[in-house]
Amino acid sequence: MNSFTRRGFLGLTGAAGVAGLSACAGTGTGVGGGESSGGASNTIEFWSNHPGTSKAVEQQIIDAFTEANPDLTVKLVDAGANYEEVAQKFNASLAGGAQPDVIVASDVTWFNFALNDQLSPLDDLLSEAGVDTSDYVDALYGDYLYDGAHFALPYARSTPLFYYNKELWSKAGLPDRGPETWEEFEEWSADLKAAVGADASAMQLADGSNYLDWYFQNMAWHFGGGYSREWTPTFSDPATVEAGTFLQRLSQDGVVTYNATPAASFSAGIAGCILESTGSLGGISTDAQFEVGTAFLPGTDNCPTGGAGVAIPANISDERKANAVKFVEFLTNPENTVLFTQATGYMPVRKSATELPEEQTYLEENPNARTAIDQLSATRSQDNARVLVPGGGLRIGTGLDQVAQGEDVATVFERLDAETQQAFENQIEPKL
Amino acid sequence: MIGRKEVAHGAEAASHRSPAMTVAGYVGMVLVVLLVAVPLFWIVITSLKERQDIYVRPAQWLPAPGTTDNYADVTTRIPFFDYFRNSLVITISLATIKIVLGVISAYALALLRFPGRGLVFLVVIAALMVPNQITVISNYALVAQLGWRNTFQGIIVPLAGVAFGTFLMRNQFLGLPSEIIEAARLDGAGPLKLLWRVALPMSWPTVVAFALITVVNEWNEYLWPFLMSDDSRTAPLPVGLTLLQNNDGVTNWGPVMAATVLAMLPVLVLFLVLQRQMIKGLTAGAVKS
Amino acid sequence: MQSTTTSEQAASAGGRSGPPDPVGPPPRRSSGRAWEWTLAALLLLPNLALLVVFTYRPLLDNIRLSFTDWNISAPVANPIGVANYVEWFGRADTRTVLGNTLVFTVATVGISMALGLALALLLDQRLRGRNLVRSVVFAPFVISGAAIGLAFQFVFDPQFGLVRDLLVRVGLGTPNFYQDSGWALFMVTFTYIWKNLGYTFVIYLAALQGRRADLDEAAEIDGASPWRHFRKVLLPQLRPTTFFLSITVLLSSVQVFDIINVMTRGGPVGNGTTTLVYQVYQETFLNQRAGYGATVATVMFLILLLVTVVQVRIMDKGQQT
Repeated sequence: MNSFTRRGFLGLTGAAGVAGLSACAGTGTGVGGGESSGGASNTIEFWSNHPGTSKAVEQQIIDAFTEANPDLTVKLVDAGANYEEVAQKFNASLAGGAQPDVIVASDVTWFNFALNDQLSPLDDLLSEAGVDTSDYVDALYGDYLYDGAHFALPYARSTPLFYYNKELWSKAGLPDRGPETWEEFEEWSADLKAAVGADASAMQLADGSNYLDWYFQNMAWHFGGGYSREWTPTFSDPATVEAGTFLQRLSQDGVVTYNATPAASFSAGIAGCILESTGSLGGISTDAQFEVGTAFLPGTDNCPTGGAGVAIPANISDERKANAVKFVEFLTNPENTVLFTQATGYMPVRKSATELPEEQTYLEENPNARTAIDQLSATRSQDNARVLVPGGGLRIGTGLDQVAQGEDVATVFERLDAETQQAFENQIEPKL
Repeated sequence: MIGRKEVAHGAEAASHRSPAMTVAGYVGMVLVVLLVAVPLFWIVITSLKERQDIYVRPAQWLPAPGTTDNYADVTTRIPFFDYFRNSLVITISLATIKIVLGVISAYALALLRFPGRGLVFLVVIAALMVPNQITVISNYALVAQLGWRNTFQGIIVPLAGVAFGTFLMRNQFLGLPSEIIEAARLDGAGPLKLLWRVALPMSWPTVVAFALITVVNEWNEYLWPFLMSDDSRTAPLPVGLTLLQNNDGVTNWGPVMAATVLAMLPVLVLFLVLQRQMIKGLTAGAVKS
Repeated sequence: MQSTTTSEQAASAGGRSGPPDPVGPPPRRSSGRAWEWTLAALLLLPNLALLVVFTYRPLLDNIRLSFTDWNISAPVANPIGVANYVEWFGRADTRTVLGNTLVFTVATVGISMALGLALALLLDQRLRGRNLVRSVVFAPFVISGAAIGLAFQFVFDPQFGLVRDLLVRVGLGTPNFYQDSGWALFMVTFTYIWKNLGYTFVIYLAALQGRRADLDEAAEIDGASPWRHFRKVLLPQLRPTTFFLSITVLLSSVQVFDIINVMTRGGPVGNGTTTLVYQVYQETFLNQRAGYGATVATVMFLILLLVTVVQVRIMDKGQQT
């Protein structure tokens, strides 16, 4: 049997179902191949989950865009409650019917679309539009590089930050800063535990169902390990195992506890410190009834990037792509990235953004936001095993839950190696 | 014309009970209220709290001070009333279609005789075994190609097939006393009259239960309306309310809980009205026949 | 045709066992008159057409896709025979997921039906304030699964939650409902039952409201004890309802999604609360293995079909004795 197309299925069974409808269901024979289905070419459909409750500011940017480009209109679509839902909706649109012009794609959802030729490589489109990509923060733009092309522009980008409770810090007699290394944190942990009391935690982390795998990357890198090098999983690398053992020790000593929502515990004063997304800065500052400190993650140059970018589907007309590029460039230009990030807590994605006077004033008034931006120079693109191998986050989160609960680190990490390798061989390698 | 005295339906439990049973009844009610209502109370109380008072320890059982800001927030930060209107349109349409289709399908399956009846019934029940996670993608392709994305018919039509209600009503119709059905037939009642004047009036409590459950399910439908709708022109409440959550940061739970309360109220009012109908309808039905 | 008689007799079985006069499909003088066929076709066609187009057509798609390596975003799916099925039977997590589904389903079906019946019996009595209590019992069913999930995150939160608060008041510690697989499964099961109690309650209440007073009166004249009355008069009359609920509650519990997605995302330790439908979602949309997801969905469909047929058979037997 030859390969058959998805639309082929749908058309066929549609015909089997109701003759009247089959004509419609069966139109697309070639899997959206190059056909620009639906959507007027001067209307840009932007599918967003409004990261960081940003619908209002997104609309504001759109209004400015349509004012500058009166021949274009932008339709802002509520495409989901989170990144997974946007991906789900986009996947549904791939099955047939109108595709959007621009979608929000997270650090873990964009790659599968790119791998399956559903996103436009942007490099040529951007240079045709005269966009200078060198102003994008290198690590953030570089995250979307695959097979020599970029498949998204950074948009709502975040990194983890080290948040600490300054009151508890001074009660514990610690200097007013974050730990420089994880070893230093461990030295501090006894004092910190004493200061927070039996009912609270020195540090709280999100559990494996809530992105512990994102935060732990920093710890793994700090010990010289990581999840993978290129496509080779490196969980069982001695350095990664050492990091896992370190996490397990902190858990067993009761220094670190786990929860679905560490930001809430921290704001309530029952977790001395947390690792959380920069995107949570606004919420934590509002909720906390004490002075909040922020710091770089422990270690040097080992802060993972995260968050989402904006991408353009592959199977829409060239005219729509050109319009879409115009829009995504506008959406992420220095002025708008400043507007967007000040409203949400994300990071400016342009190097020149920090030179704008409105950003400088903002950073002077918000030193915690400055920490996040300063840390950008210490960021490192995430390991393929988490963001590019399908199911990576969930797989690693599961392993880390097991480690935290006391299973043998080496065994768990060997299993992760094997599972990651298998997922790579089944789902990625044939398409590379 | 039909011997109704000997089969009077709609009995309340015997009114003369021992006092001990009555006391046990009230104790039971108090227990139920405690177990069921405490989490409900928690939702309501959270909706009345200020942001800093939500995540505190020990838990705050009464908001101090209380605030209605969350409710104002829900109705101003998002186009709440648009979503509400869309929910009404979708729910009323779907409930009407489903009740009609469910009742007539059930009638055919229970009171008409035709070849393949059992097979048709099995086809109906088996539809309950198909999770919507696997139907949405291919339905999306079909509906999008009809040009029905972001329209009410695009949301409504694919959800309109009724398996649950057909099953429920068929069960109900089969349980009706056969002598009444036969008597009506002998009286020369046609099939529609049999349905409208005999079967339905005697099945009123079940029809009401069917209606209530259908309304609840459609009111809360999420996955399909989410995929179909693009904005507040067609999106129902459950989809619209997700805009209150911060999907990549810290959510303020007060407005989310306020929205939950607001979304629940209309259906709860409907229940209060209909549950009285459950009893009234019976008497009316008995008289009518 | 085998199934014809089976399911039909079963569904109508209840009324026949206890009470004196038979209840069920009326005896017919002649079978299959043409007008009856036509009428039946007219009445059934719209509904069947909708089910065929929007449920069975996707189901067929799904079954075909289960024999492919389809990636959810890929334009092309390659046939790979039964490889997905072989993988499903061989995979370590299959047992866990099946176990979770079984525990969750048995608990929700058993407990929500028993409690729903008890509540319906209680609130069928003439008691003051029963309308209010009826509304309270029904209220959780009215709230969407996602909202209930969010609310119960608070209830079970090991640090701020209501459960913790109550346990601490009586001097106990709280289990960590989010880290321990057993407690996490307990948590989602409890939440699901709490939410869906209103459903079994309303269906049972409707059945009680519609029952036959003459039988109650007869029992009263006999001077039967309440328990005996319940066993001999009420329960037999409720049999069709019980049969109906045992199928519908089972089918809807197996398909629980919102509560798990919001509260645990199938965790802890990856699949601590993952049930079959949640696995379908994870494999299809998060791991992008739509072909494998389709396989799990197909297996689930077959299991449910089998279980339902067995349920129908049991009711069938019950009727004959």
